[in-house]
Amino acid sequence: MSRSAKKGPFVDEKLFKRVAQLNERRAKSPLKTWARACTITPEFVGHTFEVHNGNKFIKVYVVEDMVGHKLGEFAPTRTFRGHTAKAKTA
Amino acid sequence: MPRIAGIDIPDNKKVKISLRYLYGVGPTNALAILREAGIDPEKRAKQLTEDEVAAIVAIIDRDILVEGALRRKIQQDVARLRDISSYRGMRHRRSLPVRGQRTQSNARTRKGPRKTVAGKKGVKELGK
Repeated sequence: MSRSAKKGPFVDEKLFKRVAQLNERRAKSPLKTWARACTITPEFVGHTFEVHNGNKFIKVYVVEDMVGHKLGEFAPTRTFRGHTAKAKTA
Repeated sequence: MPRIAGIDIPDNKKVKISLRYLYGVGPTNALAILREAGIDPEKRAKQLTEDEVAAIVAIIDRDILVEGALRRKIQQDVARLRDISSYRGMRHRRSLPVRGQRTQSNARTRKGPRKTVAGKKGVKELGK
């Protein structure tokens, strides 16, 4: 079920402020954040975020196509190294 | 035999059914098209006049993506998800279910035929 249109997209206010500040100063520095649920707005384009995946921060460089997705979609939380290779039979 | 949207030629069925032979037209779209064209949905496809066929074609061209154009759009949408390496894109790449379904069991549509692993719990010794 998608979110009610009445509320608009969920954007983490603190993070949004930090981005706005960077845009004002025309600066670009990676922003560390835990706000995985935050929707990417057009203002975020061109910035780099370090999105927490529960273990460490994953660098996410935001491009235009990512607008409307959530930050967490780009920082995978699971590791899957594949199944063990079958032991060779002699 | 009326010919609509390029290649597709539905026939002896009611129009509301035969329109669904087009990729991208389901029950809802079929009825919407016919309502707009002012055609009785229960009429057989072969009884359509040329004017009525033309009206249907015009509405489809204007309003709905069908066949190749629709397939292309879906391809592009998936490619976009892959390119931005979103979670959904990764799931498409690995051909696993995209919308959070379980994968310990089932998910055979996405995963394809079972690949039995010897020695795994529940697998009886196969052959020798």
